[in-house]
Amino acid sequence: MNFIELAILTTGFLLILAGCYCLMRTYHIIKILIGIEVAMKAVTLFIAYAAHINGKIGLAQSFIITIIVVEVVVAVVLAGISLNLYKKYQSMDLRNIRKLRG
Amino acid sequence: MRALQYVSMLFVIIPLTALIVCSLIKRSRQNAAFYLLSAFAAAQVGLALYGLMLFNSLNISEYSFGFHITQAVADVFTLKPASLVMLLCIGLVSFTSLLVAYKTMPANKKLSYLRLLSALIIGMNGIVLVNDLFTMYLFIEIIGISSFVLISTTKTEEGLESAFIYLVMSSLASIMLLTGLAFIFMRTGSLKFEYLIAINNTSAEVSQNALTYLSYILVISGLLIKTGAVPFHSWLPDAHQSADTSVSVLLSGIVIKAAGVYCLMRVTDIFGNLYAIRLSLAILGVITIAVGAMFALHQNHFKRILAYSSVSQMGYMLLGISAGGILGFIGTMLHIFNHAVFKSTLFTNAAALHEEVHTLDIDKLGGLQKQMPITATTSLIAFLSTAGIPPLSGFWSKLLIIIALWKANFIGFAAAALVLSIFTAAYFLRLQMNVFWGQTPEHLQSIKEVKGTIRFAEIMLTIITIAVGLGFPFILLFLEASGII
Repeated sequence: MNFIELAILTTGFLLILAGCYCLMRTYHIIKILIGIEVAMKAVTLFIAYAAHINGKIGLAQSFIITIIVVEVVVAVVLAGISLNLYKKYQSMDLRNIRKLRG
Repeated sequence: MRALQYVSMLFVIIPLTALIVCSLIKRSRQNAAFYLLSAFAAAQVGLALYGLMLFNSLNISEYSFGFHITQAVADVFTLKPASLVMLLCIGLVSFTSLLVAYKTMPANKKLSYLRLLSALIIGMNGIVLVNDLFTMYLFIEIIGISSFVLISTTKTEEGLESAFIYLVMSSLASIMLLTGLAFIFMRTGSLKFEYLIAINNTSAEVSQNALTYLSYILVISGLLIKTGAVPFHSWLPDAHQSADTSVSVLLSGIVIKAAGVYCLMRVTDIFGNLYAIRLSLAILGVITIAVGAMFALHQNHFKRILAYSSVSQMGYMLLGISAGGILGFIGTMLHIFNHAVFKSTLFTNAAALHEEVHTLDIDKLGGLQKQMPITATTSLIAFLSTAGIPPLSGFWSKLLIIIALWKANFIGFAAAALVLSIFTAAYFLRLQMNVFWGQTPEHLQSIKEVKGTIRFAEIMLTIITIAVGLGFPFILLFLEASGII
């Protein structure tokens, strides 16, 4: 394992940790959206690395492009929901948005 | 074989046509789209039954099909008897949901409901037909996105909030699932089910490896979030409670099974017969049954009780998966079908109560047996079936799951499953007593029985519950003839 591979793997793990931390420990809706995006980008990094190891670059390219399209759709839906929540509550803080018990 | 080719293609073409038609139709013609989609859903039920008959007469176990445009998409889908059972459930639950939505959906939301429902059916039909992990992920996302929007269509505060929670939880699920897929892809270089099964059975170097175990854990946890198993169940009751009832029928009836349990079944199939995975799934299953039933005992909202009951029933399905073997598999499939039927009945009853009484708080309801006899009786039969009382359909599938557990040497789990079904009876008895039995309060004297499509749906589903329950010995005889029991 050379330096670049190690760097890719470490970056991937750090990005996933950062994304999941953002997802679970912040209260601002847009920060959560960014957290999801960051973690998904880390996953695409892993898939690119996997293709580098097993040599199936064509397959991995199609996987990554599909994932990017899907996550854009998810981000758009999340943004729409957040916009509607903002209209209802005049706030983007999740601590103000607690009607349900969870 | 020719007939099977057409039937299998229709499962893909029907929802696509429905989506295109619903997107092009004018708002003034939305009732026509409603009838069309109902006809399509009913057609899917018929086609699935016909497909099962074809499989039986042709004596084959699976059939691959695809679009013969290029070599890459020639065999993207595989039809199996199990996927036909799922397709049957999808058709049935969608039909029920349409019947309920005809009454409950606000007129200006109907068209968007129909479009999203056809997108959802595309996702679910796809997920039961796929034969590789990545396409499975793609269809999970299609199901997810259409359900988020469906939950928030009515734009109430609760709806938006629960859609948000659901979206965040399933993003977490997607991240886990995709990381697991990346590791599997790294080790094997392919995500096809057949290839993965073959490589897991032949090469110990691939199947027993720290990275492989890590990927199993990630994929299974991702799917457990989608299922709503206990440590990850928090999104499920919120989403079920705050969505429109026609959407709750879909969510509880089929979405958590198509995107969760069914995928879990396919995935555990790939991973082979690992004892560690089966044991942890069994433990999770028992915890899910117990916690779901406990929470259901303490709720006051009709739909919330039903949602926690769904959590609890998911536990039985996890137990069925963990038992493994052909018997556990059949038990789980039958429990998926039975749960789809009786939980749709109960949510239809919730819709009937909401239409007539305009509240679902069980403290404000009471003594509606005289006023709403059909709703009360159908609810009683559905809950007896859920609790596993003998002649009804729910009993048989639970019995098969428990026998499978016994045969797999999970005797403690089998006993736990038996004991915990008492709790099912307990919370449903509380529900039935608070809502339908006892003295009728003054302000509820003038309530009338629900009419139209909701009544039709209640009666139809109850007839299915009773008929499957009474006809079940024939299925058992068939299984015995095939040498399974």
